[in-house]
Order: sequence, then structure tokens, then C-alpha cells
Amino acid sequence: MQHAGLGAREFWDSCRAGAMALQRCSACRRFRYPPRSVCPFCLSVDARWMPVRGTGTVYVALVVYPRSRDPQHATSSLVIVELDEGVRMWSNVVGCDPEAVAIGDRVRLIYDDAGVPRFTLAE
Amino acid sequence: MPAAAVITAILAVHARLATTVLCVHAQKQSSGAAECRRRLLDGLEEYEEPFGMVSAVSQHAAVAARHMHEFGTTSEQLAAVAVAARKHATLNPAAMMRTPITIEDVLASRFVTKPLHLLDCCLVSDGAGAVVVTGSERASGLRKQPVYVAGFGFGYGHGPLEAPTLTTLGGTQASAAAYAMSGLGPDDVDFAELYDCFTIITLVTLEDYGFCAKGEGGAFVSDGRIELGGALPVNTHGGLLSQGHVEGMLHVTEAVKQLRGEVEVARQVPDARVGIVSGHGATLSAHATLLLTKECG
Repeated sequence: MQHAGLGAREFWDSCRAGAMALQRCSACRRFRYPPRSVCPFCLSVDARWMPVRGTGTVYVALVVYPRSRDPQHATSSLVIVELDEGVRMWSNVVGCDPEAVAIGDRVRLIYDDAGVPRFTLAE
Repeated sequence: MPAAAVITAILAVHARLATTVLCVHAQKQSSGAAECRRRLLDGLEEYEEPFGMVSAVSQHAAVAARHMHEFGTTSEQLAAVAVAARKHATLNPAAMMRTPITIEDVLASRFVTKPLHLLDCCLVSDGAGAVVVTGSERASGLRKQPVYVAGFGFGYGHGPLEAPTLTTLGGTQASAAAYAMSGLGPDDVDFAELYDCFTIITLVTLEDYGFCAKGEGGAFVSDGRIELGGALPVNTHGGLLSQGHVEGMLHVTEAVKQLRGEVEVARQVPDARVGIVSGHGATLSAHATLLLTKECG
């Protein structure tokens, strides 16, 4: 996929390196995501890329169903994770039945072969 | 968002930039799919598509999941919204879906994105609608009985990742402005035509508009309360869920027809004097409200 937005290259490069980083506002110290040039909270343009701890909590747990009823098309997890840094991101919880993922579950960041950040249940 | 187009037209007439404005919306989604589904880039795709967040269904399923988690709202309660819309569509010759459905039918339909079933989702349609907006003096001599705009409002919030909550949307702000402008409140409203891309949005909008407290939408939509003959008939044309998806323009035209007494007898809200209309869009972050009356306030 072509990276169009400002900050996208830094974000995806950090994921491919296995150490996801997000912008943190140098003025109000809040993390923000998706990347952008201006802090949405205080409008400062000064920010640093900071690695995240890689832990978070499931804020929304969804299960995406295939259009086909063919049993080989499996359901998949779609979640909004709230990272412990305070930002929310769309992602997936992998390595378990998508139906087993619930709001409030603690999750841990992992990366797939392409460097896409996904999560596993923490326990 | 057609409700917002009407508000823009009102502002233009009020500012004397125009005397009369035609607001028209047409949709060719079912037969013109290839043309109409050309992608609109908003710059967020690379934070959505790699995870399979590729549709409005998932965004709205997130609202449903949070509402269920925070307030105990059930799939049966969401289904009641779809059942009411279908009941009204069976009475509307211009509706696409005219076979009655039950709560069990909704629950038995396949999941698209859980917790939303197929019958929690709107239709894909071809259709069009239009309204003429002009000043009340100009309208008084026309062949058609005018309907008056007593109040309107906009509400803006955040997309799903940055909204402080997913269970209160822009309808709170938009309806508050419309109520304040008109001097009317939820108790004065005889019927509501609420943007219903998914059942959860009708439910959240009823709460945001003050017809019930936040979190009580599930109980409010149950037991036929939002059906014709109930305390507050909602989407008397069948809505996006069962009449057809014309982006909410037909919510506006339906409200006008109800206030003029022009719909089929079985679908007419008795003594309809005040109707409220909503528009919703921009990935959960934009909302418009129109408060329409039969008499000039």
C-alpha cells in the first residue's frame, strides 16, 4: 500500500523494524495516532517519535464474517485497542478464536511477516 | 448529507444570496456500482485497510459493541428498529423491501460484522429525492402547502479512534441547537425520520435527541414504541433499512409529506404537526438536525 499521509513512513518503518513508534507532542506530552503534523489536543507542531510499550486493552471487539458461507472462509477479529499510551488503533487479535476476544481483555503487540502490528491476548 | 443541504439552502435564502433553492440528491449504488464506488481517499486508509477495517459496517458495529458493553443493549433491541422500519415499508408502495420481518428473522440473518446482523444494515439502492427551499413569504402563494423549518443544527465530533465516547454522537449538539432555535423540545415532536444506516444509529440518535436518557434507547425502541401507532413513530417510510438508501433525502421528503398529510392513510401519523429529521455521516463525526412544523411558528 502506498503511504500517503504525513508521518506514515516513520510509523510503518518503525513497525517493520519491530518497534512501533508514535508521535508524542513535545508541548503537552500526549501521544497521538494516526500520525499528523499538528497535535489535536494543543495544536503544537513539535513532536518526537517515541517507541510504545506494546501493551493495551481491547476497547472494541468485532468479528468480521465472510460473505461466502464456504466453511474455508473463516471469520476474523477486528478490534480497536487502547494502547497504554492512551491512543486507540484499529487492529486484530490473532492466535485465538475471534469470538473469544472481549472488551477489556489485555493484549500484547506483535508483528506479522510484513511488519503489520497486531495483538495477542496477554495471558 | 441532505439534511445539511437543506440547512445550507436556508442560510442562503436567509442571507438573500438566493430566493429559492432546489436541494436534490440522487443515488445509483445498486445499478451503477462501478461508477459510484470509486474510492474516496481520506488519508486514513493505511491505518484501517491492513486490519480489514474496510467498511462503514465495522465503524458502526464498533458503536453497537460499545453500547452493548456500557448499557447492556441487546441484539433483540437493535432488531426492533429493523422490524419497525420494515413494518412501515410494507405500507409504502415506494419501498424496496415489503415483506414483514420479525425480531427472530433479524437474529437469524447472517452476521456481517458481529454484533451487526445483515438485517441491521441498510440497503444498497438507486433513488432520488428533492425539496424546494424558499422564504415563508414566497411560499405562501404556492400551489403546494409549505412546511416550515422551526429549527436546525449541526453537530461535529471525532472519528472512532479519537472520540471520547462512541455512544454519544453529534446528534446531542445538533438537536440542542434545533430545540433552542425553535423553542420546541422532544415532547413536542409527533414523529421522527432518523438516519438509519444501521439499527444502532437510530437508537443512539433517539437518545442524543432526548427522547430517552442515554443508555435507555434499547428499552425505548422495544414494544412497538417507534412503530406507527406507538408513542413516537420513527422512519414512517421504512428508512434506509427497508425503503431504500438515498443518503437520507427521503427522510426529509417523508417528513414534509407527513406534515402535509400526503402519505397513504395507513402510514399517516394522526394530527402530525412537528417532525424531526436527522442526517449522519463522515465516519460517525458529522450530524445535522431539522425540526419541521406544519404551522408557521
